[in-house]
Amino acid sequence: MWKVLKLVRREYRASVKTKGFIIGLCLAPVIMSGSLIAMVLFRGKVDTADKRIAVVDRSGVAAEVVLASAETRNAEVVFDKVRGKKVKPAYHIEIAAPDDTDPAAQRLALSDRVRSRDLHAFVEIGPGVLAPQDDPDAARITYHAENAAIDEVRGWLSGQINGRLRYLRLTSAGVDESEVGEVLTWLPVESMGLASRDEDTGQVKEAQHSSEMEAVLVPIFTLFLMFLMVMMGAMPLLNAVMEEKTQRIAEVILGSVRPFQFMLGKILGGVAVSLTGLSVYAILGVIVASRMGFTDKIPLHTLPWIYAYAVLMIFMLGGVLAALGAVCNDAKDAQNLTFPAIIPIMIPMFLLVPIIEAPTSAFATGLSLFPPFTPMLMLLRMSAHPGIPLWQPWVGLLGVSLFAMLAVWAGGRIFRVAILMQGQPPKLGLLLRWAIRG
Amino acid sequence: MHTVEIRNITKTFGDVIAVNDLSLNVPQGSIYGFIGPNGAGKTTTLRMIMSIFYPDSGTISVFGEQLHGACTDRIGYLPEERGLYRKMKVRELLQFYGELKNGLDVKQEVDRWLTKLDLSDWGDKKVDALSKGMSQKVQFIATVVSRPALIILDEPFTGLDPVNADLIRETVLELQSQGTTVIFSTHDMSVAERMCDFIFMIHRGRKVLDGTLGDIQGQYGSDTLRVRIEDGAPVLQKLEGVEKVANFGRLQELRLTRGYDPQQVLAAMMTRTRIASFEVAKPSLHDIFIRIARPETEEESHVESA
Repeated sequence: MWKVLKLVRREYRASVKTKGFIIGLCLAPVIMSGSLIAMVLFRGKVDTADKRIAVVDRSGVAAEVVLASAETRNAEVVFDKVRGKKVKPAYHIEIAAPDDTDPAAQRLALSDRVRSRDLHAFVEIGPGVLAPQDDPDAARITYHAENAAIDEVRGWLSGQINGRLRYLRLTSAGVDESEVGEVLTWLPVESMGLASRDEDTGQVKEAQHSSEMEAVLVPIFTLFLMFLMVMMGAMPLLNAVMEEKTQRIAEVILGSVRPFQFMLGKILGGVAVSLTGLSVYAILGVIVASRMGFTDKIPLHTLPWIYAYAVLMIFMLGGVLAALGAVCNDAKDAQNLTFPAIIPIMIPMFLLVPIIEAPTSAFATGLSLFPPFTPMLMLLRMSAHPGIPLWQPWVGLLGVSLFAMLAVWAGGRIFRVAILMQGQPPKLGLLLRWAIRG
Repeated sequence: MHTVEIRNITKTFGDVIAVNDLSLNVPQGSIYGFIGPNGAGKTTTLRMIMSIFYPDSGTISVFGEQLHGACTDRIGYLPEERGLYRKMKVRELLQFYGELKNGLDVKQEVDRWLTKLDLSDWGDKKVDALSKGMSQKVQFIATVVSRPALIILDEPFTGLDPVNADLIRETVLELQSQGTTVIFSTHDMSVAERMCDFIFMIHRGRKVLDGTLGDIQGQYGSDTLRVRIEDGAPVLQKLEGVEKVANFGRLQELRLTRGYDPQQVLAAMMTRTRIASFEVAKPSLHDIFIRIARPETEEESHVESA
């Protein structure tokens, strides 16, 4: 065993005592959460150039309101009232008289003006918008722009035009004008957690607001954390073993230790590197969260599970990756084998959204009990609301433990044969034969 | 007492028989030379002694015990191709390799060896910075730093200049004088002749020679003439009683037909050219190697440039 520990020590020091590890440790979360950080940094950094919008109102009931609403909006939100700085674009509405004789020609003319940047967009309101049930085609409202689908002006126009139309429909149905405002009042449904009883006082504790951070960010952070651990501890094994084979270092090492000890030393080295990274992130995460007052949002109960699953996942993937590294003859082989090797971590990433939305569904439960996916998906489900029954992570742990043992056992048999074999291209049939027959 | 006892080992890789029913005894404290053409089975045999490969059949005993891994702690192994972590510092690397053998602290031993092989200024440099010859010496230190009782050297002199080759050769002889058993493979027949107590030749997986140099040469008798002549090798073409002529430029080596009298050949040569020197000798190891490894070419080329 001391020989394995010597190998672990060398692997660990070779990984951790490098500038690359420190830089990677700092940069990895930045890169992984880059889009979130970019959203925060660039929030409010919008294009403030004014926008001219033409309104072709064939109903004759909405254009004036859109014009008035735009003027009100321009007066209220375009400039920061404290600093006087322009923070949003002004909307300038141009009412275009409908051309009923040749509407297609009018659309083309307006489209050309959009292309020449004279207009930002134009909206065409159908003649039958007040009674959409009678003639749906006549009730269409169309917005034309170069990026119509993602243009925020479209949403603003929709709100103004529909507000006006509902008002008109209600008054024509006999609702008093003074009551229309209350009729149209929209109340949001607040997202709340569950009420509970205080164990000390016995009093009922009111439910707390359920934030996006709890619902989405914490599970995503947990999944990314596992992803980083794998990238840090398991993925480098493939190239490291391949290099030791091609540079004939393996032959020297095998003069002192058995192949399985060699492989185990490398995997445990990867585990040690991962646990170092995990501990750094866990400690920093708790410190940052407590400084920002989010301590109660962090599911600390999952922390031991993260450690347990991280260790097992690196064993499971490490066994496979070390074996694959041993069959590679050059960097090209390693590159070709990287993709199939990372499937167990990529598929859980793709399933992030459906599993966060329904973590207790049969789909999520079944997939999270499939050992290659268990470490990432079980942790994702555990950190998502409303959590999962306690038996599931235990069963998952048992499954992953057995699968990891199988992976290390089979990987060891392949490793033993392949590590000194030169020039044999890696083929699936060969790997299976070595794994079964040794 | 034999340090290594090999009994009827066979090792195959797929359809290829790398080593075929090989038996060998390596006496304690001896230098045993492994020779043979490329792909003959030398490295496979060495790897089996190291327990890196296991024989399909037969047994290998080292220090009187059949190998199951643990005995390799007393064996130092220098593989044919250098295997050094390029990003590690020389001293750290040697400590790692040395301590991986038996767990003992080898710091002082590393420093002693670095000084002995003129590498003390390179101890804190990364392996990346070393020349090929220096890397070879570092690999040699990694082999001997744990004070093994048996050292196995696969092509130890490859890549070394004559000065460093002499240094390693003297070091190997010094280790032998201290009781270490040495097995090494080489393609340099003159090194094998000068250094080895015993020589073993393997060809196509089978043992074809095994014994002292004298024993081996004795099997062939004094069937070799070494001559210096005025008109060079062409005048020796189709000389009666001569099977083959190896031309070394200023010296020609003639292999006689079995049972043919050297004096008759001398008389025949004197009719063609003037003889500057004439010696009846046993065949060199180089010649024996060629006779075994390339017997078919004898028919094709009567006068061969060496």
